[in-house]
Amino acid sequence: MRVLKSEWLKLVSVRTTWYLIGAMVLLEGLTAGLTTGLGDVDDLRKGNVSTFVIGTHLATVFMFTLGALLSTNEYRHGTANSTFVVTPKRERVILAKLVVGLAIGIAGALLYIAVHAGLGLSILASRGVDVDSDLVVNGYVGVGVGLVLGCLFGVALGALLRNQVLTIIVGLVLFLLAGTVALFIGNDVGQYFPGEALLALQNDPRVDLLSQTYGGLVLAGYCVALGIAGAVLTREREIA
Amino acid sequence: MADITVERLTKRYGETLAVDDLSFTVDAGRVTGFLGPNGAGKSTTLRALLGLVRPTHGRALVMGKPFHELKDPVRAVGAALDAHDVHPGRSGRGHLRTIAAAAGLPNSRVDEVLDMVELTPARDRRVKGYSMGMRQRLALAAALLGDPRILMLDEPANGLDPQGMRWLRDILVSLAGEGRAVLISSHVLSEVEQTVDSVVVIGAGRLVMQGMLGELVKGDRRPALVRSPRADDLRDLLEAAGASVARDGRADSMHVHNASLEEIGTLAAEHGIPIFELTHEVTTLEDRFLELTGEGGNVR
Repeated sequence: MRVLKSEWLKLVSVRTTWYLIGAMVLLEGLTAGLTTGLGDVDDLRKGNVSTFVIGTHLATVFMFTLGALLSTNEYRHGTANSTFVVTPKRERVILAKLVVGLAIGIAGALLYIAVHAGLGLSILASRGVDVDSDLVVNGYVGVGVGLVLGCLFGVALGALLRNQVLTIIVGLVLFLLAGTVALFIGNDVGQYFPGEALLALQNDPRVDLLSQTYGGLVLAGYCVALGIAGAVLTREREIA
Repeated sequence: MADITVERLTKRYGETLAVDDLSFTVDAGRVTGFLGPNGAGKSTTLRALLGLVRPTHGRALVMGKPFHELKDPVRAVGAALDAHDVHPGRSGRGHLRTIAAAAGLPNSRVDEVLDMVELTPARDRRVKGYSMGMRQRLALAAALLGDPRILMLDEPANGLDPQGMRWLRDILVSLAGEGRAVLISSHVLSEVEQTVDSVVVIGAGRLVMQGMLGELVKGDRRPALVRSPRADDLRDLLEAAGASVARDGRADSMHVHNASLEEIGTLAAEHGIPIFELTHEVTTLEDRFLELTGEGGNVR
């Protein structure tokens, strides 16, 4: 519990955390408002409402970055020294970071859904567009879980790689560029890439991917594997 | 049992031998200077003691145990490795609270140590606006959080102004006076000369000497400085008595080896030679240090 409290304090005591969450909510609220407010009513009625729920890779990147900072700030700013002197059982620190990443991921996801759905759905209602509630709920669950897993992915990858810039670049490549690579090498393998698994989890109808549940499980699998690797390596590595 | 025991410690990074078969001990109740040029292996040794790096051979023990076996590391050892090891966006107080939380210490302890290092007025400011001296104080505050038995400070005087130096000296001496073992590293001798009781000198990863500060600067080895209006007469007498004398170009002064102050004074009195000054020449720790470690040498 001590380590958990410490990690939580580390997260909430820097402004970057709030800037990232604020920027994510602002940007996605804006997107929701624009797609529903300016979209063609006939198009929206024809079922393309789903597109306003998805397309949230950017939000996931924000949460991923937040998670990555949680791990890599220790090395970027040298606080790893005091952290691991005070808590020599280093795997506990990584576990605590993952738990804190989970908590802030859930908080971020709820905030995101509240703003995005509140704004988007009320605009749609005011324009007389009915939405398929199953589709919307499914979409938001997928997006929400995606945001949480994105954050955990960041924590785990950061623990593994340590270098802040490297971690964020690798994350961006995996989530944003991997799609192109995936198509290039063929869908069979490509659909298991983190970016494609995220799309599947978000139930994106535009691509032929794993089912929503499998997409989520694949992405969660990455988080678990990277988390374990990060914890083991952090325990074994030297802090120099 | 010594509070810190380094036993045949060797640490190799690839081709580089950072610490080479180093052994020394540090006892409670005094300030020990851990001295050596840059790159001598001081930081690596401290990191080995703190369990941050693994020895290639040998052992680095704190209260007889490897660091990771300590039951309550925060109360055993307080360490400050680098004053830059702070997230610049956090306040000084916020930084200490993250450490206190991990150590299971209350926030009131954070305010206590901030007070001890006289940083209370700046505690809510973000660290990015701190001067180097303030960062050093913050690092010391972090080390003091657990009220530890042992303090290990890497270059704590680095970047301190003269007032800061005096402040650091006073607080370290008083902490040692409370029965703690205080180990401070430095590559600048004059920084710690007035603070330390004993010294461990290393160069190129090896022990050069360990002992009390006084042993490092042995009085009887130092030449005497003598000023007399009849310097030439006195020189002849001293040389006749077996001492060696060197003149330094000034008409009335000379440097005398192999004769005690008492012998010189008595000889002068017997011959009615006036003496204006009779004293040991000041050999600084710096001189001795350079003598031991080689001037500018051992930097890899």
